[in-house]
Amino acid sequence: MAVSSDISIAARGQKNRLVELAVRCVLIFCALVAVATTIGIVASLLFEALRFFQQVPLTDFLFGLEWSPQTALRSDQVGSSGAFGAVPLIAGTLLISAIAMIVATPLGLMSAIYLAEYANERTRGIVKPLLELLAGIPTVVYGFFAALIVAPMLRNGGESMGFEISSESALAAGLTMGVMIIPLISSLSDDVINAVPQSLRDASYGLGATQAETIKQVILPAATPGIAGSLLLATSRAIGETMIVVMAAGLAAKLTANPLEAVTTVTVQIVTLLTGDQEFDSAKTLSAFALGLLLFVITLCLNVVALRIVDRYKEQYD
Amino acid sequence: MPRTFGKLRVSVALFALLATSTAANARDQITIVGSSTVFPFATTVAERFGKNTDFKTPVVEQTGSGGGLKLFCSGTGEKTPDITNASRRIKASEVELCAKNGVDEIVEVKIGYDGIVLANSRKSDVMELTRKDIFLALAKDVPAGEGKTKPNAYKSWKEVNPDLPDVKIEVLGPPPTSGTRDAFVELAMEGGCKQIDWIKALKKSDKNAYKALCHTIREDGGFVEAGENDNLIVQKLEVNPAAFGIFGFSFLDQNSDKIQGSIVEGNEPEFDEIAEGNYPISRSLYVYVKKAHIGVIPGIEEFLEEFISEDAFGEDGYLGDKGLIPLTEEEVEDVLDAVTNLTPVEL
Amino acid sequence: MTESAIILKSAGSKRHRAESRFRAYGLIAIAISLSFLLIMIGSITMRGTAAFKQTFVQIEVNLPTEKLDPEGTRDPEVLRKARYGKLLKSALREQFPDAKKRADKKSLYKLISSTAEYSIRDQVAANPSLVGGIHPFWVRASSDVDQYMKGTIDGSLEESQRRVNDKQIAWIESLKASGSIESRFNTQFFTGGDSREPEQAGIMGAVVGSALTLLICFLLAFPIGVLAAVYLEEFSAKGRINRFIEVNINNLAAVPSIVYGLLGLAILLNVFNLPRSTPLVGGMVLALMTLPTIIIASRSSLRAVPPSIREAAFGLGASKVQTTFHHVVPLAMPGMLTGSIIGMAQALGETAPLLMIGMVAFIVDVPGGVTEAATALPVQIFLWADSPERGFMEKTSAAILVLLGFLVIMNLAAVYLRRRLEIRW
Repeated sequence: MAVSSDISIAARGQKNRLVELAVRCVLIFCALVAVATTIGIVASLLFEALRFFQQVPLTDFLFGLEWSPQTALRSDQVGSSGAFGAVPLIAGTLLISAIAMIVATPLGLMSAIYLAEYANERTRGIVKPLLELLAGIPTVVYGFFAALIVAPMLRNGGESMGFEISSESALAAGLTMGVMIIPLISSLSDDVINAVPQSLRDASYGLGATQAETIKQVILPAATPGIAGSLLLATSRAIGETMIVVMAAGLAAKLTANPLEAVTTVTVQIVTLLTGDQEFDSAKTLSAFALGLLLFVITLCLNVVALRIVDRYKEQYD
Repeated sequence: MPRTFGKLRVSVALFALLATSTAANARDQITIVGSSTVFPFATTVAERFGKNTDFKTPVVEQTGSGGGLKLFCSGTGEKTPDITNASRRIKASEVELCAKNGVDEIVEVKIGYDGIVLANSRKSDVMELTRKDIFLALAKDVPAGEGKTKPNAYKSWKEVNPDLPDVKIEVLGPPPTSGTRDAFVELAMEGGCKQIDWIKALKKSDKNAYKALCHTIREDGGFVEAGENDNLIVQKLEVNPAAFGIFGFSFLDQNSDKIQGSIVEGNEPEFDEIAEGNYPISRSLYVYVKKAHIGVIPGIEEFLEEFISEDAFGEDGYLGDKGLIPLTEEEVEDVLDAVTNLTPVEL
Repeated sequence: MTESAIILKSAGSKRHRAESRFRAYGLIAIAISLSFLLIMIGSITMRGTAAFKQTFVQIEVNLPTEKLDPEGTRDPEVLRKARYGKLLKSALREQFPDAKKRADKKSLYKLISSTAEYSIRDQVAANPSLVGGIHPFWVRASSDVDQYMKGTIDGSLEESQRRVNDKQIAWIESLKASGSIESRFNTQFFTGGDSREPEQAGIMGAVVGSALTLLICFLLAFPIGVLAAVYLEEFSAKGRINRFIEVNINNLAAVPSIVYGLLGLAILLNVFNLPRSTPLVGGMVLALMTLPTIIIASRSSLRAVPPSIREAAFGLGASKVQTTFHHVVPLAMPGMLTGSIIGMAQALGETAPLLMIGMVAFIVDVPGGVTEAATALPVQIFLWADSPERGFMEKTSAAILVLLGFLVIMNLAAVYLRRRLEIRW
């Protein structure tokens, strides 16, 4: 500290206390920025969403089976009032996320098991960063890849086998998204598996179990809560993903479970509603904020549950 | 501690700097918002303008016609855009909104025409359609005898019109938020709808019912909302030769090696046909300028001059190469006149 | 762990097979995942590398004094004002006198980029002695010619199905024969701003926009993130408030990025009226987004500093603030920086929130400050993927390669920092 020696000890002490106080205030302020962000998100979404719910009843939004935001662009256009039922959007989002999880769960989990239990230090040192590279690729790149390479490939493949696959099928977006979340699942599960105490393994081996048996019957059951948590986090990531679906999924809100058809998602609609030709405070634009709120609430619930499970699990072995 | 606080101080100072720089410097760059259809033309002119003059290149943002006019009408001052593009004419309600916010003088510049085309892959045959076929294939409800309607159940073009091939109806088009959709509905759908006599009569008796019938597009899979990302639609059409896409003419022009436009009522969607007004589905494109900003933001007048120069929107201008259909000679006179005198728009 | 695994050889071949099968599943999973990576990067590289080359055409242009500089001042300012487009067109007509009909002339002009006149203008202004003579100039070929030369446009197709017609192909072939057409490294792609003409488009504007955005993001997120982490780890009592903030941060880390975009739109643009489409707003939104990452990384880095360091400092009479900022934070700094770089790399690739705050704009000039309108690399990719001109396809892939290049550099920097500077306790 740059304090000259002629200042008396007392004054120095006082100055120190002041500095300590000031520093503490700055620190608290910084920590509160995170809280303020949450408040900001909730407030901005709620405020705009409430304006939306003044025009469209909440129950219509949550339980309506039809999404067709065809409100009049101008006062002299067709009197179509538009349907703002979010169910098809949620269904579409879940369909694509489910496909992504079906792809990513086995691949991610098996990769994690291999890396944690079988791979030697060198393989691990090479493969792990490569997998993480997948996570580091920007989503706009995945979107470009999904729309221009995966989708036509699926379509042509489907055609030669006699299937009709829509060119913006849920499958193309879901598959690509699955690839994107493999590293998320593998790295989280890797941590979880590594946290299982060595003593459990040793006990199992001691009883004569093979490595595979130990993993399946001892380690995985012990790690289940943690793995479940990481899968939930991955699902939440898939639900909130935007660019892949904006570029590769459709816009038509259809209530279907067929992955070969085109569906739309909550995030796609937010982007379309806020970047297309529209009036700025029509129900149509405001509905984007209502959708944002819905997305926030869904992912928040998933995250809270997931983080709780992971925390509990960690405590168990700490 | 000195080191850490030094860093803190630097960042505080930087923020102060940022804050003041935001407040102080007056804008010396034109900002343009508006329609995504006019976007390719406005950006081409902006780029040329930036290269030909000492002014900065204007910033052009796609917000859609409606969104653009909304931003444009939000007031005057450097935080509001100077120019907005529209793929339709400004509405009386929008002029009112503008006036309410102090934007009382708006200069309208009609820059040309754009055809809307229904195109399919070159791997299939060219389709010869009428607007009535388009209406019957894509409407939500179709007429079933005098005065009655039924939900659209047509699956194949052949069911719509026996002369057409037996191809599944699958049209990829823009979402309701798009101005292209708006124009397509008004020009193609309503144009075909009117050809049915009792519906034409309905227009006089019950205007709302008429509009609801003519303007509503089916949602059962025959019409697929595929976004305004027209490039991706081209890719999709290539892999699905049965499908059609709805585009602006400029997109067809750029991708003429992969897709072909359908003939509508005997007219091919070609440059000359649209320019001469033969092709039935075409609309005008506009640029709106805030008069209050002329002289405040440097370069607006010069930018307009570049836009309406013979080199740009004239018959052989570079905008024509981008797919803009030029105005007729009389119209050009009117536009030149409006720009020189900066006559405010009157509806 | 392999060392401690005891495989009982006598345990029957069935269990053995199950063992090797399970192991194989793991390997297959990794192989599939990595092959996706390979296919993706491979296909994009294949498409993208073509954009690093650009076709140039040599044309003899007559530069008459009376048209360019009637007063003979040779003043670069005067020379810049002259119009070169007409000279270029007549040069083309002279070189290919067979273009007589209007349509043919139009096809002829389309051989070279519509921006070629500006490159001639710049060369003449830089070297006024060119005026008054006939000089050969190498100018950019138009995107269609470029695509033809690269083989993307197939000359064997029927004329109506390709964007270069038979006449144009004949002209290209004659240029080829005389050595007046060649492919060069496309420096413009790296040094230029965006353009409507694919042959002229560059990524410099987007790179600078991204850099400015990240600068703002870093200036905000790094100090706030580090200080928040210091508070949570070193100062706060482990009470309910601390727990609340912690839960809050963990949840923020998993909020979809588009929600941050909505926040930016509703609060930064609509309430605080900050300028649209600027790196300032983009950086602020991204800072909020990366804050949790930085806090979490910084906290674990602080936690890794052993208590003995703190106890030693306290023992020598240092205050809490002194202990923290003189001893603990410097030791944790490499870890914090590593975490921040990884957070910044995420922010660099983020697109969705920027779409919400109007950074999807056509901007030619390279932005000069954080309050000027700008676009960012991933948004540029999105915009180009959207453009009708075919030539943008390869530019999109090339821009992706550049973006990936930056990401790899940032991640390598993080790895380097971690390996070299991180202190292992």
